[in-house]
Amino acid sequence: MKFSVYRYNPETDSEPYMQMFEIEQRQGMMLRDALLAIQEQDESFTFRHSCGEGVCGSDGVNVNGSNKLACIAPLTELKDPVEVRPFPGRPVIRDLVVDMSQFYAQYNQVDPWLQRKEPLPEQEILQTPEERDQLDGLYECIMCGCCSTACPSFWWNPDKFLGPQALLSACRFLADSRDQAGEERLDKLEGPYKLFRCHTIMSCVEACPKGLNPTKAIGHIKAIMLKEAI
Amino acid sequence: MSRRASGLRAWFLQRATAIYLILFLLYLLQHLIFNPPDSFAAWQGWVAQPLVGLGLLLCFASLLLHAWVGFRDVLIDYVHPTAIRVSILTLFGFALIGCALWVMQTIFLATVA
Repeated sequence: MKFSVYRYNPETDSEPYMQMFEIEQRQGMMLRDALLAIQEQDESFTFRHSCGEGVCGSDGVNVNGSNKLACIAPLTELKDPVEVRPFPGRPVIRDLVVDMSQFYAQYNQVDPWLQRKEPLPEQEILQTPEERDQLDGLYECIMCGCCSTACPSFWWNPDKFLGPQALLSACRFLADSRDQAGEERLDKLEGPYKLFRCHTIMSCVEACPKGLNPTKAIGHIKAIMLKEAI
Repeated sequence: MSRRASGLRAWFLQRATAIYLILFLLYLLQHLIFNPPDSFAAWQGWVAQPLVGLGLLLCFASLLLHAWVGFRDVLIDYVHPTAIRVSILTLFGFALIGCALWVMQTIFLATVA
């Protein structure tokens, strides 16, 4: 199977280039295995990876034009030759490794932790099964960045639009019965940029390797806002 | 606690006007299919009906508001230098006001004729 891989080493290359590799395909091989095989051929080739089973969210890359986690992308589902690039719109550090600081800064902006105004009880704060169900489809995010870096609105305004990942997290805390900072959270999302740059393009939904739906979460935040405003 | 600022309000306006536009355009379409006006006088008579005139005015008001929000969205996305964005937005705003006055004049003339 042929691979065209994005290469860039800022210390030696004046500009990025694509390099061809050929690897022998084995049964059950994922893209991460192929990248490791490429690394055996050329050990200067750099990419992030860790758990290898779609849990840590380290090896998000752009494959044949769409963002995927390399470790859970079967080679049999990819078109030969496979074009592997770093996430679009992020500064490249080296080869497939990109700088995700802005992505984490946006996540930080939604205060991604539970906030209580009442004093904390001695025991844990209980939830009914129904209240717990509200968090399904929101808490599973592994922050791989596949969604936000696939979002055109995030490409145009990454400094002002929070992006699908951070907004999914915002929704996760708005939906949590134990959180008491809903008002403040909504206030922080006002204005034309942070939330409302989302034009329901839904690239995030297509990209999410965990099958989550940030567009739906964003719609849910808008609905809560509207309900609170009238 | 102000949630009425540019984000939510613009978004709501865009949704609300879209719903009115689709409903009115459906009415318009069925009218043009089943009772197509065959003369200028028939057109004028149709527009002169108070409900139709009001519906048309609301339709154009919705269309212009919808266009304003949409165009502003496009500019916020793609045109980043403030001076250029403000200039284009101002020009577009004047053009929309011009369109609005023209529509009002047309419907008014049809009503008094």
